[in-house]
Amino acid sequence: MADIFELRDIEVWDGNMAASHALRQAQVDVVAAYPITPSTPIVENYASFMANGYIDGEFVMAESEHGAMSCCIGASAAGGRVATATSSQGFALMLETLYSASGMRLPIVLNVVNRAIGAPLNVNGDHSDMYMGRDSGWIQIDCYNPQDVYDMNLVAFRVCEDHGIRLPAMVHQDGFMTSHTAQRVKTLSDDVAYDFIGEFKPMNDMLDLDHPVTHGVQTEEDWHFEHKARQHHALMSAVLPKIQEAFDGLKALTGRQYNLVESYTMDDAEIAIVCMGTSVETAQEVSNELRAQGIKAGVVGIRVFRPFPLEQIADALKGCKAIATLDRSSPNGTVGALYNELAGALFNTSTHAVLTNYIYGLGGRDLTKSSIHTIYRDLQANAQAGSPTTPLQQFIGLRGPKLSFF
Amino acid sequence: MLQNGWDTFEIGTILRPFEGSISDASAILPEDRLYSQSNSFSVSVADWRIEKPLFNKDLCIDCQFCWIYCPDMSIISRDKKMVAVDYDHCKGCGICVQVCPTTPKALLMFPEQKDEEEALLEWPKKEKKEKEN
Amino acid sequence: MLEIRWHSRAGQGAVTGAKGLAEVVASTGKDVQAFAFYGSAKRGAAMTAYNRFDDKVILNHEKFMQPDYVLVIDPALVYATDITANEKENTVYIITTHLSTLELIASQPKLMGKKVFTVDCIKISQETIGKAIPNTPMLGALMKISRMYDIEFFTENMFKVLKKLPQKIIDANMIAIERAYNEVK
Ligand code: SF4
Ligand code: SF4
Repeated sequence: MADIFELRDIEVWDGNMAASHALRQAQVDVVAAYPITPSTPIVENYASFMANGYIDGEFVMAESEHGAMSCCIGASAAGGRVATATSSQGFALMLETLYSASGMRLPIVLNVVNRAIGAPLNVNGDHSDMYMGRDSGWIQIDCYNPQDVYDMNLVAFRVCEDHGIRLPAMVHQDGFMTSHTAQRVKTLSDDVAYDFIGEFKPMNDMLDLDHPVTHGVQTEEDWHFEHKARQHHALMSAVLPKIQEAFDGLKALTGRQYNLVESYTMDDAEIAIVCMGTSVETAQEVSNELRAQGIKAGVVGIRVFRPFPLEQIADALKGCKAIATLDRSSPNGTVGALYNELAGALFNTSTHAVLTNYIYGLGGRDLTKSSIHTIYRDLQANAQAGSPTTPLQQFIGLRGPKLSFF
Repeated sequence: MLQNGWDTFEIGTILRPFEGSISDASAILPEDRLYSQSNSFSVSVADWRIEKPLFNKDLCIDCQFCWIYCPDMSIISRDKKMVAVDYDHCKGCGICVQVCPTTPKALLMFPEQKDEEEALLEWPKKEKKEKEN
Repeated sequence: MLEIRWHSRAGQGAVTGAKGLAEVVASTGKDVQAFAFYGSAKRGAAMTAYNRFDDKVILNHEKFMQPDYVLVIDPALVYATDITANEKENTVYIITTHLSTLELIASQPKLMGKKVFTVDCIKISQETIGKAIPNTPMLGALMKISRMYDIEFFTENMFKVLKKLPQKIIDANMIAIERAYNEVK
């Protein structure tokens, strides 16, 4: 039996520490990892909790991220509660195995501490790795601060291990801006947190020797499509209600309310910024400043990136006149992914808001309040004109001549 | 199986080798195990063969090479003695014949329609060492 | 909102200092942030760490900051980096140095006319903790200059933050904090 770790009601933790305490409280059986900045402390802390008797588990030091996720897949198929963490190039190396994990319906929790992908080499935060994972069949939940990281990890285990779901989940946080920023985190005691997640219920585990099972079988044209359809169906129909149920449970327990789509002062908003990560909160602060001046500004934060809550987002934005989507990843040849998603969500609806796209914050470039003010000013002009007054895609916070497209 | 739609099979890319539960499978002979429909044991590949391996017990030294090398586990062996070929699962690849070390071989390939009695009669004889006078 | 910028070298404990301060402030019910800019810098490289404190929930995650206090815990950084970057009119500087405040300003004219205080956190930590870890004494100096908390309350809470360390080290840190509190000018 693992020892109880006495926590204060409010701890000052960075995002990494919040994630590792959630893994500890979940009593994860196996963490296989190949540590990479800025996610390193998550698995390092797990190993140290384990060595000090606070976890009854196994830490496997793999030879690469590809090996780490492969070990996780094996351990999960064997019937354990499994988690790990990675970032950036490490995530990229893991990518092949991510598809195996989701296709094999293994409920692994992966903490992705979002970091730029080189070249040029860069350890700081942007959303390139998160975007790279968006077709991999995983649930993707996004966090804006260390409290979110703690709570969303608990939610992730509870959702993904459910037998109606059985899909792996990523919990995303911004590299350094969340992972290395210490803030207040309201904690749950070990037993309350564990009860919230629930006992791990194995399904088709390989260590059930009386019911032998082959995992990861081959199918060709005859079955592949049906398997993928089944997986997509589970993502599309079972996951959002289950996440909502977990959010409701968390609210009953803690009073903290999370939503599939986070709307801030959107009820009567005419202009809105849609973004992810820490930017959601900074934008909210700017929006509050504009509200004080009587400007009807709002912010929509994506909480669940996959499955994409298309209808909820369209609903949150329905009264808007001008919307900016902020993408923290180089779109490399098209509009930002969030712009695309939003355009898809709003097309065929009665919303005819002007939709524009900003690329920002690559490689950890600061998103300043002053940049956000600029974006809201553009939005006001777009709302007034009823059509774009700026190019469709603009780079913001970039040095050199202004860069924009379309 | 073929009539299954996307919503009718078990989730995950899994297959079950046996129907229901089984304990200590290695202690049960293959013919006594309750293999599932999706197990390859439930499917015959006999019609893949153009030639079949035939077994001549008199020449066999029970080295078990054929049992080890057969890619489809179609050599039936009991108590480390070669017993017979499992013609439901033998695909006629001839590997067992290749690895059989005796001279003449205790396994030889014959046309699929060949009668076993007849084949045994035609089997190459052991060469007697002729003494020089 | 109270904002603090630390100037330090990687390894001198600015991040630990910023986090320790944040823990003490958080225990009084305020919202806090403690963060740093690292890059892939190695030990000894100049770095900055930051604190934000507020009665309201802190939503701002921008790295840009116009600090109320600038804490310099390595003496050479006064010359090697721009410690006055993004300053406000009333930004207060507390600087580790063996020089007197007047001598320091004479050696770095940029500080002329600003609110500058000095204390030798390097010497204090060497004499008390036995190593040049100037972060905790700097917090003692900050308490004196900012009057954020009275020193008894602060040391009592800092004691809790450090409670996992060996008793001897905790005691030495407490003495270092009090010395810096008394010696900052
Ligand atoms: S012919 Fe091939 S499949 Fe048949 S028994 Fe010999 S080795 Fe096995
Ligand atoms: S390889 Fe030949 S000799 Fe050896 S067991 Fe098989 S049939 Fe007998």
